[in-house]
Amino acid sequence: MDMTSDTAIQLEGVTKRFGEHTAVRDLHMSIPRGCIYGLLGPNGSGKTTTLRMIMGILHPDEGVVRLLGGDPDDIRQKRVGYLPEERGVYRKMKVLEQLEFMGEIRGLARKEAARRAGDWLDRLGLGDWKEKKVEDLSKGMQQKVQFIATVIHDPELLILDEPFSGLDPINQDVLEDIVREFHRRGTTILFSTHLMAQAEQLCEYVCLISQAEKVLDGALKDLKAQEREGVVAVKFDGSDAWLAGPEVASIEKVDRGVHLLLHEGGDHQAILRRGVESGAVIHHFELVEPSLHEIFIRHAGGDAVGDAGLPRDLQRAEAVS
Amino acid sequence: MRNVFVVIRREYIYRVRNRWFIVGTLALPAAILGVIALSAMSEARRSNRDRVLPIIDHSGVLYDLVAGRLPSSFEPERVATTPEALEEVAERARERTISGYLVLDAETLTSGKATFHGDHAPRTLTRIRMQQAVVRSALQVRLSATDSGAQVEDLLSGGEIDFESVSDEAPEEGAREIGMAVGFAGAMVLYMVILIYGMMVMRSVLEEKTSRVVEVIISSVRPWELMLGKILGVGAVALTQVGIWALAVTLLLTVGLPYLIAFRPELANASELLQYLPAVGGLVIFVAFFILGYLLFSSLYAAVAAMCSTEEEAQQTQFPVTLLVMIPIFFMSSIMEDPNSTLSTVLSLVPFFSPIVMLPRYLGGAPLWQVGLSMVFMVITIGGVAWVAGRIYRVGILMQGKRPTLPELWRWVKEAG
Repeated sequence: MDMTSDTAIQLEGVTKRFGEHTAVRDLHMSIPRGCIYGLLGPNGSGKTTTLRMIMGILHPDEGVVRLLGGDPDDIRQKRVGYLPEERGVYRKMKVLEQLEFMGEIRGLARKEAARRAGDWLDRLGLGDWKEKKVEDLSKGMQQKVQFIATVIHDPELLILDEPFSGLDPINQDVLEDIVREFHRRGTTILFSTHLMAQAEQLCEYVCLISQAEKVLDGALKDLKAQEREGVVAVKFDGSDAWLAGPEVASIEKVDRGVHLLLHEGGDHQAILRRGVESGAVIHHFELVEPSLHEIFIRHAGGDAVGDAGLPRDLQRAEAVS
Repeated sequence: MRNVFVVIRREYIYRVRNRWFIVGTLALPAAILGVIALSAMSEARRSNRDRVLPIIDHSGVLYDLVAGRLPSSFEPERVATTPEALEEVAERARERTISGYLVLDAETLTSGKATFHGDHAPRTLTRIRMQQAVVRSALQVRLSATDSGAQVEDLLSGGEIDFESVSDEAPEEGAREIGMAVGFAGAMVLYMVILIYGMMVMRSVLEEKTSRVVEVIISSVRPWELMLGKILGVGAVALTQVGIWALAVTLLLTVGLPYLIAFRPELANASELLQYLPAVGGLVIFVAFFILGYLLFSSLYAAVAAMCSTEEEAQQTQFPVTLLVMIPIFFMSSIMEDPNSTLSTVLSLVPFFSPIVMLPRYLGGAPLWQVGLSMVFMVITIGGVAWVAGRIYRVGILMQGKRPTLPELWRWVKEAG
């Protein structure tokens, strides 16, 4: 399969193993130019490994990574902005100098890098911190500095690993706005997240991965259309024993009532009949558009999504233990 | 190449502006200046009371000789042997307008004994100076009875042991000893600077690796550019520091030392050091061996840091490298004893030891071809070490977790393409 000119990133059969453990297995991914693409999955599913292979930090054991239809090393050098999951900054350097350096190694003249860094710092409310050492900044501020370092050279391709984690809601919104702005200017944005709700608001395309393998991918609206028959919203009084059945993959409690996630081809009418027969009083029974979270659970199973709702730090502690 | 300069610039500016660099750089000249100033000040503050030394000469022949032999920090004063004069000088001592006075008598001529009358015993150094002046003067008086004045004078001023070489190629021995002393000092500075700045490279690599900054940098800067830029940047910092030290020491010794000698004539011998300091040959060799030694060891330290993921790991792993820097120091006394022994020669030609061993050997008279040969060996070794270290670095900086075993390390070297 050749890479067309509207594809920004292409992964073909990419596999990465660490000893006995396979972190990514036979992954195919095609990211259209100019889109916002979400790489979703719980911790340890292989998101970061995938992004690191795209960035050339890790080399795939099998398969090929293509970038913007050229030599990946050259393209990564000046045309890609990468925000790693572990926030790396020179802690002892001054904010402005750090950003100048980051701009310079991406090919900007120092003056130009300083000008852009100044604009970005002002815009993100860090104008008074230019001459402060990075280590004197709060974590959230450091994250903003690192984000500026990622975008200072105005890259064609943005690769962000969990960009929203660790930010308060206000700053998450600020970052979202900036991502949308880059999107309007034609930048291709690939980001990973374990927060389905966030991805749902932001992404045009998603790829869901679980346990090193792709579960499904495609345009978000297509996925939702395909899944239209997959989720039933139910409100009722009485026993809930009738809800479980061969058609039902998972039962999610929502505000008032439950969402039933059906197996592929599951017959919703059979559930309704069972409900009526059981004597439950059913107020509401409707096929609804599933959330991304629900789509993911339908395809990967409840276990796969596991800790996806936990705060990042807790998950990391678990991952370590 | 542009990236190399960007990396050099960051590394250099960041480190030169560091508080500890500034403190460290100024500390050495400040310490030397401090010693000179203190010494000059204590001399300037020596009051007349300590300076003036009345001498009562009952022998009648010693005063001029003793007065002439006292260092210029004394102001001898002849006291007549009349009872009034004796009473007067004793009174001055009691009133403490003088710290004391010296009495020479007939016994001084036979046994060299003299008496100092004062409120407290003179300091050791003062006493030794008075003693030397008195004894030599007494000897001169006694010997002059039989020998000519000039011979006695030569004998008393110390005599000399001349050296005559029995082989053709032996160096001029006069210069050797003091050259070796300067060489030893230079070797210690080299040892210190190579170690300090080699470790600085190690910490710098480790900082980028542990903070994961390197993952961002490495997408834009190739590993060899980053490693080279870092080594050259830190090296430039080292040269800056050594340069400032060299300049300061030269200034202090050419401008400061004569000033000091004016106050402390007993240090006049120290001015002999001067002839070795601006010696261009020594300086060139010092700088050359610093650059070569630094390049060799900083590459090794960079590779060590690239293998490790934590400061503790790095501290353990760097030990063999540091040992390699230190080995010549263990042999330094034998090298100083005989800089041209087989041991010294062999050590100085081993590339890892040359930077520290060769400087004292050169200043101690080792032939220039050996110096040149050791440099050639070093350049070849640096080429090989940098090649291996560069490959380890390239794989290592993006590797987290367990430190590689030796076979794994070998695979890194082979596979980094």
